[in-house]
Amino acid sequence: MMQTDFPALPLPWPTDDMAQQELAHLGGNPVIGHGFRKTLFPVITKEDVLQMQISILRNHTNSEAQFTEDYRNYVGAKYAIATASGTSALHLALVGAGVTPGDEVIVPCFTFIATAQAIVAAKGIPVFVDIDPVNYCIDVQAVEAAITPRTRAVMPVHVHGLPANMPALRQLCTKHGLLLVEDASHAHSAAIDGTICGALGDAAGQSLMADKNFPVGGEGGIAFFADEEKYKRARAFLEETGIDYSMSGIVAAFGISQLKRLPYYDAIRQRNAAYLTAELAKTGLFTGPEVPAAYVHAYNMYRIALHPAAVGLDDLPIHAVKGAVQELLVAEGVPAREWQNKPIPGHLPFQNRQGFGQGYPFTLSQRDFSEYSLDRFPNALKMLASTLTLCRELRSPVETERIQSYALAFHKVAARPDVIRKLATENTYPLPYERDGRLG
Amino acid sequence: MNNFQQSLVLTRVMTSGVVMSIEKNDRQLPGLETQLRNKVDRQYVALFNSVTGAIHAALHGQQIGFGGKAVFPRVSQREQKFLTWLGVGIEESTSTPRTYGKASVAWQDAGTTLDAAVAAVSHDKVQVLDFTELGFGPCAAIATNDEQIWKRAERLKIFGAFDLRTMWSQAESEPEIQPTIQFNYRLSPLVAACVRQAIQGNQ
Repeated sequence: MMQTDFPALPLPWPTDDMAQQELAHLGGNPVIGHGFRKTLFPVITKEDVLQMQISILRNHTNSEAQFTEDYRNYVGAKYAIATASGTSALHLALVGAGVTPGDEVIVPCFTFIATAQAIVAAKGIPVFVDIDPVNYCIDVQAVEAAITPRTRAVMPVHVHGLPANMPALRQLCTKHGLLLVEDASHAHSAAIDGTICGALGDAAGQSLMADKNFPVGGEGGIAFFADEEKYKRARAFLEETGIDYSMSGIVAAFGISQLKRLPYYDAIRQRNAAYLTAELAKTGLFTGPEVPAAYVHAYNMYRIALHPAAVGLDDLPIHAVKGAVQELLVAEGVPAREWQNKPIPGHLPFQNRQGFGQGYPFTLSQRDFSEYSLDRFPNALKMLASTLTLCRELRSPVETERIQSYALAFHKVAARPDVIRKLATENTYPLPYERDGRLG
Repeated sequence: MNNFQQSLVLTRVMTSGVVMSIEKNDRQLPGLETQLRNKVDRQYVALFNSVTGAIHAALHGQQIGFGGKAVFPRVSQREQKFLTWLGVGIEESTSTPRTYGKASVAWQDAGTTLDAAVAAVSHDKVQVLDFTELGFGPCAAIATNDEQIWKRAERLKIFGAFDLRTMWSQAESEPEIQPTIQFNYRLSPLVAACVRQAIQGNQ
């Protein structure tokens, strides 16, 4: 029997009156019924199959090189090395840029753990700083305050696909003689003033795993370098260490054909995000991301802020309101989630700091690692307590009727502060960061 | 495996829509693990996206890290470079059991069949099997009967401390196995599907 992810039935057409119906939590019909909730990703087409067959005929020998060149050219970076994962790409970007053992690398406390683990892989010391409360990316003033004579690089993360404040960070790095190394793992096609993320820093690493906006065949990544010296340093590192970080030709072949459709998928996400942001703005309780002028948000994820005061719930702890809202949205068929609940320095590998063994490379540093305590990151804690995230839900092939259904569900929940209040007061919702750390 | 078979295998996996290693309904990685478990007659198998990833896991699983020491009768130049980068010292000895046994599968001649590889490492506590030479891209596995070695190896290749399949939770379920440095050594299901078929077709 053929195993396929092709949907059995289309999602029923949403109607405006759904927003006025009884909440699913109270026994009403959910906006998105059971059996219609799976978001398919990635979209795999006949072009992907044909490209794979071409790669097979060539014994996969040229696929990795072709993919690297095609995508490097798309991003506009000078040099690139395709890798087996995003983590290895970040590692290579740091090493190629010039990070050496014991160097401090300033990194946001809110990111995927791979960003910080890549610094440890480069035998550097992650120095975590708080995030900006509006764009959720690294706080530029916090970066400046964290610079020491041991600082070698700043590693911003374009969180969820919104570019960090790269002009300000570049100015800061130039002033202090620091390297600027991007983590562009959420930011495929994201840009500032037309320059795509990956080409903004001295080097960059990017995940291309199949859960990203731009997927290769399963697991993969790419490192970008702004000049030949950094590229050659990364190549020499691979030679000196014998590490095999290379991308499979099979994995690359999938990326060659996917890249040709990336602009189409980007347009779908932009359309869906614009629609949802406009609809959320009408609810009072919810708002979508704020995108500065000249910035392109890639919407790998879509973080939604809650405003309890707008519906008379500001007397309640905001994390309890969030917990109640999440429960109501999930009942309506909207996969609203936290996407992480604890700043990275609070995760076990950074509390333990065992590294490669015997505490290396942390033992190279004289820093007081009590700085890895969560209370030093108030903006991140506030964000985690007051926001929810959609992950795959804005991506193609999300149909018009699906994004409309999500918007209706947000309207439906926002219209019932009485139920939110009841849930928030009767149930126990611990603060997100007081639970065990989760990464997804 | 000929081109038609490879094309069919890859088309089948792509049609399933499941090409990511952390998907709960991925069948390729568990399928290859089962196949190898049966073949090598070891209880635990972990897959990696490169032989260096598997070597790292073989050491890490035995709690040999920075400042530690590995024992081999002889070691290749490439392994020597990699172990040096990890901060692991090498003791050349024929009298002590080696830290791990490594063999490559390529099916180029009688010496590089899977059977030959399995025989070459049959006495080792931790086996490293390298499938890269098959031509589907970097791919390797470790096999062992020691559950703790396997658990540590799995935790090295993902970012979790509890749910080894989906990697997401950092909950400390087993305090004696502390998460340390973590890499992404996860293998693509597309590569795993080809290796599965190659092994099956050559048995």
